[in-house]
Amino acid sequence: MSQKSTILNRLRGALIPWLLPISILAAWEIAARVGWLSSRILPEPFAVLKAGVALAATGELWQHVKVSSLRALTGFAIGGGLGLLLGLLTGSFRKVEIALDTTLQMIRNIPPLALIPLVILWFGIDETAKLFLISLGVFFSVYINTFHGIRSVDPALIEMGRSYGLKGWSLYREVILPGALSSILVGVRYALGFMWVILIVAETISAQAGIGYMTMNAREFLQTDVVLLGILLYAVLGKLADVAARLLERHWLKWNNSYSTA
Amino acid sequence: MQIDHRELNEVRSAQGKDKEQAPGLSIGVRQLIKRFGERQVLHGLDLDIEAGEFIAIVGRSLLRLLAGLDTVSSGGILLDGQPADLLKDDVRMMFQDARLLPWRTVIQNIAIGLDGSKREIRERALEVLGQVGLADRADEWPSRLSGGQRQRVALARALIHRPRLLLLDEPLGALDALTRIEMQRLIESIWKQHRFTALLVTHDVSEAVALGDRIVLVEDGRITLDEPVALARPREHGEAQFAQRESRVLKRLMTVEAINNRNQIRGRISEIVVDSVLSEVRILTPSGLVTSTVLTRSLSEQPLEIGAEVLATFKSNEVVLAT
Repeated sequence: MSQKSTILNRLRGALIPWLLPISILAAWEIAARVGWLSSRILPEPFAVLKAGVALAATGELWQHVKVSSLRALTGFAIGGGLGLLLGLLTGSFRKVEIALDTTLQMIRNIPPLALIPLVILWFGIDETAKLFLISLGVFFSVYINTFHGIRSVDPALIEMGRSYGLKGWSLYREVILPGALSSILVGVRYALGFMWVILIVAETISAQAGIGYMTMNAREFLQTDVVLLGILLYAVLGKLADVAARLLERHWLKWNNSYSTA
Repeated sequence: MQIDHRELNEVRSAQGKDKEQAPGLSIGVRQLIKRFGERQVLHGLDLDIEAGEFIAIVGRSLLRLLAGLDTVSSGGILLDGQPADLLKDDVRMMFQDARLLPWRTVIQNIAIGLDGSKREIRERALEVLGQVGLADRADEWPSRLSGGQRQRVALARALIHRPRLLLLDEPLGALDALTRIEMQRLIESIWKQHRFTALLVTHDVSEAVALGDRIVLVEDGRITLDEPVALARPREHGEAQFAQRESRVLKRLMTVEAINNRNQIRGRISEIVVDSVLSEVRILTPSGLVTSTVLTRSLSEQPLEIGAEVLATFKSNEVVLAT
């Protein structure tokens, strides 16, 4: 009896977050069927679904998703990796901070998208331009949070580590990195969100494949259902990236009460 | 100075095989001066401590210098007649707060800074955990432990290095009165078993009398009291001699603190609420009511009267600020 009710409770817990999106979809479908919404402006959800199935069947959809994801992740790896590396360096060594931080803070205040004209001049409209924009976009949130994380490690713990014989790399591995990790992961999560924003803009400039290319192409032929499908795909991929970041947090920060699964 | 450290370490590790039997370190402090900028905290301190002695000390500066956490401004510290930094590995410290790494389990915290095979380290860690009575909590996160349990883990972490000098920086300050007495007994029994030299910083006179072979008071950078405590161990807080000793040191401390008037407030006792273990003494001061929690037992040993004038003192790190 009690077991049954806990299962029901858990089911209810899992369903409630989806209640609102499902009712919006239902209202939208009805509005489109009744004729309140012109399908030229906003096609019904069912039509979007049909477009999705059709594109998936030809394999075209997966090709675009693959290209976009790979593009986003490559840019993230380059920008995030550099941000992590420089953040660790400036956070750990006062001299590197003095030499680099002012420059980085100045560049940070330039919105990456403002560089688009320049980036096109430099790299043309190739893959490099897109990767450059994505890398630049994710770099700073990883960099700043890593720097901040290293700097805010409890000095009492570092003192303890030193007096118990830790130094150099072992002090870094046991005390400083784990202490900075929660802050670094905040940066990663934020960067993953921003990564999709930059990707969308970068793909609408010009592309031969990818979700952005698919939607821009569909716009030319007034296929609003495919445009909408593209937008939905961005939402799903964004959500997936966020879930992945959260799983990482849960795994690496399981010592922290606020992340434990209990 | 041309001493080959590596060679010295080899000699020491060869001796280290029967380290368990090795007695504590002797300490010689010579004309020690410590300055923080303009402020001088130690004015040419001299102190000798024998191997295996348990010293209770009121005043923190000396301990951080012995631990190598602060650097000496002038003068010197000798451990077993050698410069202190050569024997750094024989000195371990227990901090005011436990300072456990929250991202390591209890047993990983204890193993910090140890080299060797994983299995061997785990065995040794479990052994010291057993000594502090926490063998069943080995794989838990520190955040799941109580304050007293965390300090037990910190004690185990120090013990696993088989220190010859254990520095205790007021480690029981934040614990409640009962846990505190329990921990005092534990520290005493472990000290008896391992025979290391122990240096305990405390501001609790009863704790100093309970544990110290000698009580040393450092005030204004000088030793103002160096009193042997020749009481048999284990010392019971209830004994007459214990109470006598405690009140003598307390009076001495009060006069010293009265000259140095920080964090103290004078008033008259307005009410005494007696309970089975802990009692409350309420003191009416010019700036309002101040309540002091004391052990009922020490209240019965040193009776207080309503209306008596008393001096309430408190630690600066226990004053919480709100705006």
